[in-house]
Amino acid sequence: MSRPAVLAAAAALTGALALTGCSGSGTSKAELSVSGSYMPQPVSADMAAGFLTITNKGGTKDELTSVSSDAAGQVTMHSTMGGEMREHSSFAIPAHGRLVFRSGGNHLMFEQLRHRPRQGQTVELKLTFAKSGPLTVEMPVKSATYHPTTGH
Amino acid sequence: MRKKTFAAAALLAAATLTLSACGGQESDRSPVSSLSQESGSSGPATVLDQPWDKPGLVLTDTHGKKYDLRKETQGHPTLLYFGYTHCPDICPTTMSNIAVAAQKSLTPAQRDDLRVVFVTTDPGRDTPAALGSWLKGIDPRFIGLTGDFKTVQAGARSVGITVEPTTKDKNGKLVSVHGTQVVVFSPKTNAGYVLYGENATVDDYIKDLPKLVKGAKP
Repeated sequence: MSRPAVLAAAAALTGALALTGCSGSGTSKAELSVSGSYMPQPVSADMAAGFLTITNKGGTKDELTSVSSDAAGQVTMHSTMGGEMREHSSFAIPAHGRLVFRSGGNHLMFEQLRHRPRQGQTVELKLTFAKSGPLTVEMPVKSATYHPTTGH
Repeated sequence: MRKKTFAAAALLAAATLTLSACGGQESDRSPVSSLSQESGSSGPATVLDQPWDKPGLVLTDTHGKKYDLRKETQGHPTLLYFGYTHCPDICPTTMSNIAVAAQKSLTPAQRDDLRVVFVTTDPGRDTPAALGSWLKGIDPRFIGLTGDFKTVQAGARSVGITVEPTTKDKNGKLVSVHGTQVVVFSPKTNAGYVLYGENATVDDYIKDLPKLVKGAKP
């Protein structure tokens, strides 16, 4: 197949799928789910980072307004730009969209940990939203060098 | 190769279409950037056409002793990073990637020869003792340096790295800034000739460290 033909086929297929996904759900409420959560094993109990993706299948946007965990005195939400991190009081989750926390970008920051989380353990956290009900996440602790694209 | 290009192009098109089809608000969180990282052929290392001199930094190490960077690391393969310990994400990940890669890819003699130097951008909080206990959790061989911020900033700037002093945010919390690159200095020329961005993974360092400790290009 020629290159334009391949692209056109892919485009047609995707277009059809995307339309199916969106049509008829324009006024539906936010439908949130969490995937890909992990915490790299931190250096000490002072501080740890957490990453996850929140997917919104619904037709209404929502907002992540707070994160808490029994494992930490405080969990805050940050963005990072050029080595400088900034704390945010909320993050938007677009309709039919995703909110991504990943290394080098947005991250959750766990402070005053009760103990240093070790690889193989899990940390429970609670996500609170502006509209949807809260979600509980069992976040696995991975190695300090874990990278989601390589899986180790 | 051709097939790969088609697949990547189709995926890219798919990602773009899906996003634009459903209201463009999330376009800044598009997965396209991570896709291009994987398909990139050059890797995360940048080899400099014009190598940099090693910064003439004289600071305090984790034992509270004076440490002259040029003198102490002369003739040793040296990795230099500017960061701070109250940093949840990139600083510990970068240091851990290097530590694990050195353990996995270098001989004991090469590990002894290697100098990994972490210079704090937050000297107010990162005392020699605080730096020492943090680095001990990563690799006790790593060297931690602290001192006057202006000196640190000038040293960073001489190798193209911009860092800013620690400030207080609106909640009164201290916010520091880390450098976004690791600079590699050759044991042969003592010049900084390779840079690694913060997207470098442990696998990248495992692959490249055996070359870097010989002063070779990755």
